[in-house]
Amino acid sequence: MAEPMVVYTAAVFPLHGGDVRAPSAVFDQIFEVFLLLGTAVGVVVVAYTMYHALKYRDDGGGTDPYADKVERPQMGEMPTGGSGGRKVFYSFSISAIIVVSLIAWTYSQLLYIEEGPDPAQEEALEIDVEGYRFGWDFIYPNGHTTNTLYVPQDRVVRLQVTATDVFHNFGIPELRVKTDAVPGQYTSAWFTANETGTYAAKCYELCGSGHSLMTTDVVVMPQDEYEEWYAETNGTAASGNETDKRIAPEATALGGVPA
Amino acid sequence: MSQEHEHGLPPKSSVSRWFLTTNHKDIGVLYLITALFFLVFGGVLALLFRLELISPGADLLGSMGYNQAVSTHGLLMVFWFISPFAFGFANYLVPLQIGADDLAFPRLNALSYWLYLFSGILMGVSFFQGTTFAGGWTMYAPLNTPAYIPGEGLGATSVVLALIMFTAAVTLGSVNFLTTMYRMRAEGLRMRDIPIFSLSINLTVWMMLFAFAALLAALMILASDHILGTTYFQYSIDGTTMATDADNPGASLLWAHLFWFFGHPEVYIVFFPALGVMAECFQTFTGRRLVGRKWFIISMVLVALQSFVVWMHHMFLTGINLPIKTIFMATTIGISLPFDLMVFSLIYTMAKGRVRFTTPFLFSLGALILFIIGGITGVFLGAIVLDYQFRGTYWVVAHFHYVMVAGATALFGGLYYWYPKITGKMYNETLGKIQFGVYFLGFNLLYFPMFIAWETPRRVFVYPDGLQIWHSMATVGGFILGASFLLMFYNLFVSLWRGEDVGPNPWEYATSAEWAVSSPPSLENFPGVPSYATGKLEFLDDETVAERTERTPGAAAHGHAATDGGTATDGGAVTARTAVTATAMETAHEVGGEDHASHASFWPFLVSLGGFIAFLGLSGVRTGSVFYLSIAAVGSLTMFGSLVGMTREPFHAPEMAIAERWPFSEVEKMKLGMWTFLASDIVLFGAFIGSYAFVRVAYGWTAWHHDLIPAEHVTMPGLINTYLLLTSSFLVVLAMVAAERESKRGTVAALVGTFALGVGFLINKGIEWNHLFHISTETFPNGWNLSTNIASSTFYLTTGLHGAHVIIGLIICAYMTVRAWNGAYQGDDRAIEYFGLYWHFVDIVWLFLFPLFYIL
Repeated sequence: MAEPMVVYTAAVFPLHGGDVRAPSAVFDQIFEVFLLLGTAVGVVVVAYTMYHALKYRDDGGGTDPYADKVERPQMGEMPTGGSGGRKVFYSFSISAIIVVSLIAWTYSQLLYIEEGPDPAQEEALEIDVEGYRFGWDFIYPNGHTTNTLYVPQDRVVRLQVTATDVFHNFGIPELRVKTDAVPGQYTSAWFTANETGTYAAKCYELCGSGHSLMTTDVVVMPQDEYEEWYAETNGTAASGNETDKRIAPEATALGGVPA
Repeated sequence: MSQEHEHGLPPKSSVSRWFLTTNHKDIGVLYLITALFFLVFGGVLALLFRLELISPGADLLGSMGYNQAVSTHGLLMVFWFISPFAFGFANYLVPLQIGADDLAFPRLNALSYWLYLFSGILMGVSFFQGTTFAGGWTMYAPLNTPAYIPGEGLGATSVVLALIMFTAAVTLGSVNFLTTMYRMRAEGLRMRDIPIFSLSINLTVWMMLFAFAALLAALMILASDHILGTTYFQYSIDGTTMATDADNPGASLLWAHLFWFFGHPEVYIVFFPALGVMAECFQTFTGRRLVGRKWFIISMVLVALQSFVVWMHHMFLTGINLPIKTIFMATTIGISLPFDLMVFSLIYTMAKGRVRFTTPFLFSLGALILFIIGGITGVFLGAIVLDYQFRGTYWVVAHFHYVMVAGATALFGGLYYWYPKITGKMYNETLGKIQFGVYFLGFNLLYFPMFIAWETPRRVFVYPDGLQIWHSMATVGGFILGASFLLMFYNLFVSLWRGEDVGPNPWEYATSAEWAVSSPPSLENFPGVPSYATGKLEFLDDETVAERTERTPGAAAHGHAATDGGTATDGGAVTARTAVTATAMETAHEVGGEDHASHASFWPFLVSLGGFIAFLGLSGVRTGSVFYLSIAAVGSLTMFGSLVGMTREPFHAPEMAIAERWPFSEVEKMKLGMWTFLASDIVLFGAFIGSYAFVRVAYGWTAWHHDLIPAEHVTMPGLINTYLLLTSSFLVVLAMVAAERESKRGTVAALVGTFALGVGFLINKGIEWNHLFHISTETFPNGWNLSTNIASSTFYLTTGLHGAHVIIGLIICAYMTVRAWNGAYQGDDRAIEYFGLYWHFVDIVWLFLFPLFYIL
């Protein structure tokens, strides 16, 4: 995994300076459109439903105001449909057009999320992520392993995610990146952070007693700080102040594997 | 029909009635009450963890306690509450709505119920075996295997076994309902003409038949991993953790595929009956026929078909490739569209109606509104980019509760709607409306804030402080929702005494046949033979029936002249025995005579009790405990003995004199039942074979053979077994021919030959297995047994499942040989034919297994 070129090169770090559209921006845009339209459609349809329910409410009077327009069902009749099917079709067509066009519109965005930005993608910072009960190992190109994810600002980061015991799911909600951590195989996801700061990474698949607490920090650093930090890693072991949160396999009280 | 004789059943006031009954209405009531019990069970668990979630850092249940509560809440609500609740109505109403006097196989129906009840009891017992299952209702692998379950994990094993028992109940029920609906409709009632609730049940049971077979495969494999030590769902077989080069890299995703292949149709299995109830209530309380009924039905059929091709949308983040994602995105959007049509159909049904806001209508309307919200929020999930981020969050939780509990809402409406029919008493309308108000408020206060707090991960008890207000609201809503049920239980209970008596039909504009008979209906359902031949429901008297069946033999169909009038049994594969085709004349004559339908049988209860004890024992056999081993033995013996008792019991379920039977008018009911059962068995084997292919491809198709299979695993034993089975199938045909020619000796000889070849198959397999277990080579120093590797697991389990089918076939064969010896089947080879269907099927399965496990 360790690519020697990365060790030297502050200068060739392909920074995109915030030009790459982050997954969080894609998500926010789609989510906003859906929320807006969804709310509108919901309000219209529910109001329309209530309008019908109330308008045709039986006032308790003896006469049927629509007696000449519709035939009332009779006891013991063979079930048939009522009149007014055309309106159903019109309404259905409108709803179908809304749904299909919305999803079709998101499809181009899905392709972007799937393929990643070009050409920054090609030289993305690749980090292996291994989930275990109940924490994460982040393995850098030089082999350095941490439990906190450190990434530089304005750089595309590609994660190769797996798990070493049960099914987990790695997500950094604020950066809108998420993927399943399946034991025995890798999945991949990418993100880029345009703001420095500390974010939370969480596990999104029930994995045992410590699942609720299986969170860790994601530290987004300015370029130069990250380079400094990375240069200090010697490429083999976790740095001194990192504590391995891995729970001993025999800790059955926490749901660990019995020895 | 006289009130004195209840066909051998004690009166309803007697407790023993409820253990003996096979009547569909009694069983419907049992289902309803039992399901409501499980609603309370699952609901209390939900309140427990909602209480913990009231603040971000509360710890009420402990971490494992919390996980157990969320997992069992999901399992109980999905499996033991909502579907059985719907099937309480289905049991009670489908025969009434289609004009049948009972289900096709009444004892099988009782057996379904008791298996369901005891599976729920086993689920309850699991709480007392250390810890119960704690891996979420989706039971993802490998967290669902003993290696990751703290302690001995017996409770988790019990849950898996309870689910198997439940699935058995569902499969029997599906066979029963399908046979009933295709063979026992009132004259003139085409499939498309049956009332919409019954139609929704028809499509539900079709989905159940196939979806639950896939679940059964998943559960049997999981139980085998728990009990027998196979390694399907363990990706690392020697117990070390590893990130790559796994021993079984397909383990996790195999479960996900199997589970969701069942799990997505399950959503519609849960929701369809609710749609049916909504449509019924809308028609009655708007005084309008369902607008666009034909398209409503077509939409449901489309959904039922498509439901089997959307499952991977639960797995978008598992690394499946873009083309597959695109296909599943398209099918997912495709399946949402028919629901739009159904929603608008319901809305327009209100137009020009005379809408009366009774309690059932309020619940139906409420369900529609909740479902609209659930549907819209579901479209969000159809956009894959959004789905990625919603995965594992409260958005999903809120969405599916808006859908599933909307379904439950409609079913509660159904409970009010049919309460007067079932009890003969009217509930208190004011209290009912108050309950709806409280329910609707509680529901939205519980689930809507979850959309706002959607960033909370699922199944966690720690969440950001900023979200506390929404979670607190949800908790309060949960308790309000729970409290509304106290009102409902009080209302429905007190009304049993204080409610006004109602006549046949308390609702203006109700049309279906259940409202044309007394409330509650008599044991025989109808005052005559129901018929829609004139386009309107009529009850024909016996003379007209006799006349009509003579004049139009086509309508009565099954003119297999006379039969011995003996026993019709309904034990599916186990009791493939003489089936009676009651002719029209017989039915016409039997009224008031000795030959009336039987309704009492104690065996279904005993079989299920035995099954329960056996499964409880099985949950602990891996500990080697004498207690568990002995109750496993006692339970198995009880179950087997009761099955034999059930088979030998004379039980008469006459076929209808006149009935609409398209498209199965030429298929006798036992045969149709057998075909339906085999259809689900095909899916079961299909899932096993699919699992084998999946894990093998994940491992590497050719490397598999090279790495995992010993040279000692040779083709010859399989080849010999292929010939043995093929020959035995041929002998079954000879037995049929001999029976037709009334040659008793020939029949017995052919059956004995079949039996001998089957036994030969098993002995040969035993020798082969024994040899493989005990090989000692460089690669496999400790033999090649179930736990050695994933290849050995698939080999032993898949061929073992086939072997179990052979053993069941041999038991039936032995039973039939004895019967043939005593002179049965001569001139009437149908029972042998039905056994033959099963036996040929088992044979054909082997023709697939042999190349897969011996040659490729």
